[in-house]
Amino acid sequence: MTVIAATNVEALVIFAIVLSITLVITYWASKRMTGAEAFWAAGRSISGVQNGLAISGDYLSAASFLGIAGLIFIFGFDGFLYSVGFLVAFLTVMFLLAERMRNAGKYTIADVLAFRLRERPARTAAALGTLTVAAFYLIAQMVGAGVLVQALVGIDFSIAVLITGVMMLCYVIFGGMLATTWVQIIKAVLLMTGILVMSIFVLERVGFNPIELFNRAAENTTDESTFSLGPGTFLSSPIDTVSLGIALVLGTAGLPHILMRFFTVPDSKAARSSVVWAMFIIGGFYVLTTFVGFGARALLGEEGVAAAGTGGNLAAPNLAQFLGGGEGTFGGDLFLAVIAAVAFATILAVVAGLVLSASGAVAHDIWSNVIRKGQDSEHEEVLVARVAAASIGAIAIVIAIVGGEGLNVSFMVGLAFAVAASANFPALLLALTWRRFNTAGAVTGVLFGVISSIVLVIISPKVWPGPDGEGGALSFYDLANPGIVSIPLGFIGCWLGTMLSTERGNERQFAELHVRSETGLGAEKAGVVG
Amino acid sequence: MSQTDPRIDWEAIERSPEFRELIGARRRFVLPATIFFLAWYIGFILLAGYAPDFMAESVYEGLTVGYCLALTQFVMVGVLGIMYLRRAERVYDPLADELARRALLPPPSAGPTGDAPQVPVR
Repeated sequence: MTVIAATNVEALVIFAIVLSITLVITYWASKRMTGAEAFWAAGRSISGVQNGLAISGDYLSAASFLGIAGLIFIFGFDGFLYSVGFLVAFLTVMFLLAERMRNAGKYTIADVLAFRLRERPARTAAALGTLTVAAFYLIAQMVGAGVLVQALVGIDFSIAVLITGVMMLCYVIFGGMLATTWVQIIKAVLLMTGILVMSIFVLERVGFNPIELFNRAAENTTDESTFSLGPGTFLSSPIDTVSLGIALVLGTAGLPHILMRFFTVPDSKAARSSVVWAMFIIGGFYVLTTFVGFGARALLGEEGVAAAGTGGNLAAPNLAQFLGGGEGTFGGDLFLAVIAAVAFATILAVVAGLVLSASGAVAHDIWSNVIRKGQDSEHEEVLVARVAAASIGAIAIVIAIVGGEGLNVSFMVGLAFAVAASANFPALLLALTWRRFNTAGAVTGVLFGVISSIVLVIISPKVWPGPDGEGGALSFYDLANPGIVSIPLGFIGCWLGTMLSTERGNERQFAELHVRSETGLGAEKAGVVG
Repeated sequence: MSQTDPRIDWEAIERSPEFRELIGARRRFVLPATIFFLAWYIGFILLAGYAPDFMAESVYEGLTVGYCLALTQFVMVGVLGIMYLRRAERVYDPLADELARRALLPPPSAGPTGDAPQVPVR
């Protein structure tokens, strides 16, 4: 497996250009940093289109770009199942949460729960859900960044993780949400441009006939190939396929770094239009990913599988090199370098969004409202947010370096989605819609969701092989994706806690939340930034 | 952390027919649309999980049933997204804006109706 490249000079130069641009943006944003609203919500000054791009930049991780292209290259249709789930998820976000979040919240998802429930337990529970999702997702992205940069540019894994972490912290600490937003917007533009150019190169080879691309991809297989235009090659158990699909479609509506983006727009109308923009950008992206994955299959064939590394992550960069003229040619190296830089920018934008949402949970929820009970100044809250971001970032860097390449990235991303769908999503949805819901329900639901997701992943076959080395730790449970069990458990937890508690929800507060979330009356107003 | 605006009687608004109309109008679209997209999507992954041979059947050369159905998911997202956007702008926003406007007006007993100055928000 030749995944460690010699230092790629073109890649280093392009990386340096991308990093310089993001640092200039961060400097510009830092000059406009006026307080908590600027730090967490970019002064609610982001337009619908901008936020649509930023959501795409926040959402499309390296797992989406390199991971799905690689899965499609190796397995065909099953890789595409992820794309469909990741996209349809935005209907859940739009119909159930986007506008309500903007109308009812301030900076974090805990704000929505705390609006009508007892503040300290509700916030603590929501912060737990946010931090669990952010932690798993963040470490997965950092490890992915290290592996990719090492393979593509020839920088050592630890140094690659360190550079990624330091850049991410620069954006968040100095530029807050404003810098993070613009890094995400630029990344979305780079990513879409990169994948569009690659797709055009691929389609040009087949006379711009996608069906011909499908044919050639299916032909370019050998007896060892797992590639298929039908399902069942990667996800072998039907119930696991369904479980994964449900976790994807509900999990996005519980991802704190995505939901947080709705606080950055002036009103719920902009929140709504930003979701539709994101749908079209992300939908377009996933169609193009298919062309890249099939292009890799049609042009690189089975010989390309070994060179594509674990999970086929390097299929897209290797395809770029091939399309540019092949290894050793200037065109090939340049195209590889550009795609590598796009992948790097992709990771940076996602990890920055994650750190920002985690710092919101620590500083705004736990410190400011649980420990200091809202008595702290805005200045203090932002200071704590920066310290929290630095600490969270440092911990993630250390875990990623110590855990190293051995950490299973896809399992951690799967876990993040499972927790988001099983803990955050039920509590948020019921807080906004169920009159009877109370604090005990929210706390129980989040605990059920978090604990069941983690336990079920630990006893899953991938993590804890059973005695025969095949099934999981328990003979009757062999799901790799816990969603189909943990999501109902999250909802049951919310219901059970609510029913067992004698606490009656405060009618007036629910009325206020209900009216506010539906009409925008009394919602946080757009501030003035820059 | 109630950010209560003392001028607003939230419970009265929640009971008002105008608010019920807004909620009802939104629900009449969102509820069926949510049931539809979840059913269509879950149907798709059930087929992917339990009917792999059907999904792998060719519709036209390399284009399989699975990819055609996946394509309908993309189309569904686009169509429902645009439909909701247009309905929201045409139906829900005017209702919500009217509710918000009226809630911030001083009560009729506070002064002569018609020329009471509107209280600015915040």
